[in-house]
Amino acid sequence: MTTPTKQDYWSYIKRQFRKNRRALYSMYIVIFMAVIALLADVLANEKPLYCSYHGHTYFPVFKEYAVDLGLARWPKELLNINWTDTKFDHELRPPVPYSPTTQDFFNSGFVSPFGKQNVASTRWRHWFGTDDIGRDITAGLIHGTRVAFMVGIISMSIASIIGILLGAFGGFFGDNKIRVSRANVLMGIIFFILGWFNAFSTRSYILSDTIGVSVIKFLGEFALSLFIFFVSMLIGYLLAFVLKIIPFFRKKVNIPVDLIVQRVIEILVSIPRLFLIIAVVAISKPGIALIMVIIGLTSWTEIARFIRAELLRVRSLEYIEASEALGYSRMRILFKHAIPNAIAPVLITIAFGIAAAILIESSLSFLGIGVPAEVITWGKILAKAQGSKSQLWVAIFPGFAIFLTVTLFNLIGEGLTDALDPRQKK
Amino acid sequence: MLKYVLKRIAIFIPTLFVISLITFYLSVNVPGDPVEQMLNNNSDLGSSANAQASERAYVDKRAQLGLDLPLFYFSLGNAAEPKNLYEVPKKFHRQNLERLIDKYGDWTEIRKYYQSLKDFEVAIAGIPRDSANADALINIKGNIQKLYISYDDNAIRSDFKEITPAINEHASLQLARPAYQAVLDDYEKGVKGKATPMKKYIPALHWYGLNNQYHQWITKFMKGDFGISYQDQRPVKTVIWEAVHWTVMLSIFSIILTYLISIPLGIKAAAKKDSRRDKIMSTILFMLYSLPVFWVATLLIMFLGGGDFLSWFPAYGVGEISSDDNFFQIFGIRFYHLVLPMICFTYGGLAFLYRQMRGAMINTLTQDYIRTARAKGLDENKILWKHAFKNSLLPIITLFANVFPLIISGAIIIENKFSIPGMGKTAIEAIHARNYPMIYTIVMFSAILTMIGYLIADILYAMVDPRISYSKK
Repeated sequence: MTTPTKQDYWSYIKRQFRKNRRALYSMYIVIFMAVIALLADVLANEKPLYCSYHGHTYFPVFKEYAVDLGLARWPKELLNINWTDTKFDHELRPPVPYSPTTQDFFNSGFVSPFGKQNVASTRWRHWFGTDDIGRDITAGLIHGTRVAFMVGIISMSIASIIGILLGAFGGFFGDNKIRVSRANVLMGIIFFILGWFNAFSTRSYILSDTIGVSVIKFLGEFALSLFIFFVSMLIGYLLAFVLKIIPFFRKKVNIPVDLIVQRVIEILVSIPRLFLIIAVVAISKPGIALIMVIIGLTSWTEIARFIRAELLRVRSLEYIEASEALGYSRMRILFKHAIPNAIAPVLITIAFGIAAAILIESSLSFLGIGVPAEVITWGKILAKAQGSKSQLWVAIFPGFAIFLTVTLFNLIGEGLTDALDPRQKK
Repeated sequence: MLKYVLKRIAIFIPTLFVISLITFYLSVNVPGDPVEQMLNNNSDLGSSANAQASERAYVDKRAQLGLDLPLFYFSLGNAAEPKNLYEVPKKFHRQNLERLIDKYGDWTEIRKYYQSLKDFEVAIAGIPRDSANADALINIKGNIQKLYISYDDNAIRSDFKEITPAINEHASLQLARPAYQAVLDDYEKGVKGKATPMKKYIPALHWYGLNNQYHQWITKFMKGDFGISYQDQRPVKTVIWEAVHWTVMLSIFSIILTYLISIPLGIKAAAKKDSRRDKIMSTILFMLYSLPVFWVATLLIMFLGGGDFLSWFPAYGVGEISSDDNFFQIFGIRFYHLVLPMICFTYGGLAFLYRQMRGAMINTLTQDYIRTARAKGLDENKILWKHAFKNSLLPIITLFANVFPLIISGAIIIENKFSIPGMGKTAIEAIHARNYPMIYTIVMFSAILTMIGYLIADILYAMVDPRISYSKK
């Protein structure tokens, strides 16, 4: 290498991680799969990428994005078209010319990938076979990748935000570092309830009605609710200043942050996750978003534990003392100096967590709970396999996809564990 | 020690309380009306033509299920909502009234409207049906039912638009005319005319006391009364008890099996660290760890359980036992049926424990006292099993707490795939049948089992390691 090696913490971890070949290659494969997940619509779609029909040129795959976002409408001649059977004047179809939900009636009933298929040409072959009602397994696997990655990444992002914040507060402030005046505690509680009431309770119908209409509208309403909530908290904060005129309210009390966080973790850990998720999913409308949110809300405990342990160590280091002596605010020290130095071990839990989240999602799909009918996932395809020989491929491919993804994320987690272990320093 | 255990159990209580709150919250928010579900399941009263009889049956059943009580000790609502809204019997009507209150905010007017709608229904029901007005009557009845669950202004108006001509058309329906006029007036002039929508922004705290659904439910739960299963009208307790022993038996067996296999394997691997055998074993077990249990179950059934390949083991159920089978025969039948499920139960925890055991043992073997033992010329096997083993057992024992929930959640998938009548299968069946008393009892139970697992792990931990003394803390 001609450039001098960087000596900062993250480049060191990167170097250590690269030494672990298994983990590194796993990483490359994961990135490859992520690209497949991103391009799923272009790779497997019953709509052509480009077609010309009755003298007009269309890009149906991309047009669909615009239609889904509400920016455009399908032209009349394409509205109720059968994409697979229609002969276009010119067309360019995706590598897999089926959507995961396209039913090929000529090839229904678990057509084997190696056997004879009733297709027009090799271009239309079902490379991984079909399921009982003639849906293409290849397309299902490609779109399943997207679902699996979305569930893994989004749910762990939610878990990381909660886990890092709560764990960091618990570890950094401990039980006796946050002292708040009685006025602030009282006003905080009152205006928290009031804010909750006005932002979410009275607006609950607006929120629940818009969630069915469009995500963007819902996010708008939700943002407004959040705004109301924070304004309410701000009013409480300002009123506390007034209340402090009375000496009784000026007195400060300890907030045992650590204790509270620990208790919450203890409670969450004793609820069997799969049972809880099933119970929640049972009462709500099926939806991938719900599954992601619940997995996220229940899997932050490990992250919080990790970061708490790390911050307990970091907070007694000299540089933190130095920044305190320099008069930085505690929040600034926490977010700018303490957390960045404690965050690396969390990557390990995140990697393992993504694997676990993907497993949970596929278990749910396998059981047929909570995943809407129109979403095709690996677990759902696998559930079709019951035992006869003809269903062998339906069992092998999606099962292997789940296994592979979970293994890859576990290997990455393993590699990170080694890379972050100081004993491995060479 | 005893003090510590008692303290741990004391922590249980708030944890259980929170879990019971979550469970209760979920059970209250279930879609559909449990009373109607019960009525439809066991009698034809729910669909009976006699509206008043079915209404009475509904109210009775509701009272019997304890659903006529307020939900919780208190409620934080808004000033527009009345304190006693829970007294409106029908759940869908109640939900619609809540919507109307949210929209228009004046309870007295909305109540008047609701009452006159009910009067109108009675008036229509009192009109004798003949061949001329039959269609109109059915039309009006349908629209009244729609009005009960409509809160959108346009929807209500369109219902009115259908009722008005139907009433005007037939002379025999003129009897119901005044009642209908009252509905129209109450809606237009009352509900909409005197709307006070701003009232919902004023919070109001209502206190209900101990006579509420949660209190009833939790006290009954503590006494062991978990309610009636919607599916077959049997007490939930009986059903759960039948199911739980399968799950507990399977999990205890598989935990013992897991420990028995993984500990020697892990120790052997650690003793010959980095040998080829160790590497191969580690890789295999690492892959086992990532194998999804439902995939393994599917493949096992396909290849060994009487699919089109080998049929060495039965794939489903736990076997039939006749009354004159002796213990060994029963054991034989059960064992034969449970081989495949046991494999599924065991392999995941096996891989997990193996890795932990190996890591702990490698850690211990680098300690000074082991070097001393070796220098002393002790037999290598003795060092491994007598000196190192004891000290590396520590992390393994605490993992009991992690293995237990793993198995409990594994049970959901495995029992369903292999048709074992345990908790997991019962839970999924209950979910598909929307049998909520069952679902929430199972959630509570699995939480309690998990907590017991943690407690046992903590106690074992203290027993193995004399350095840990809980009483001093």
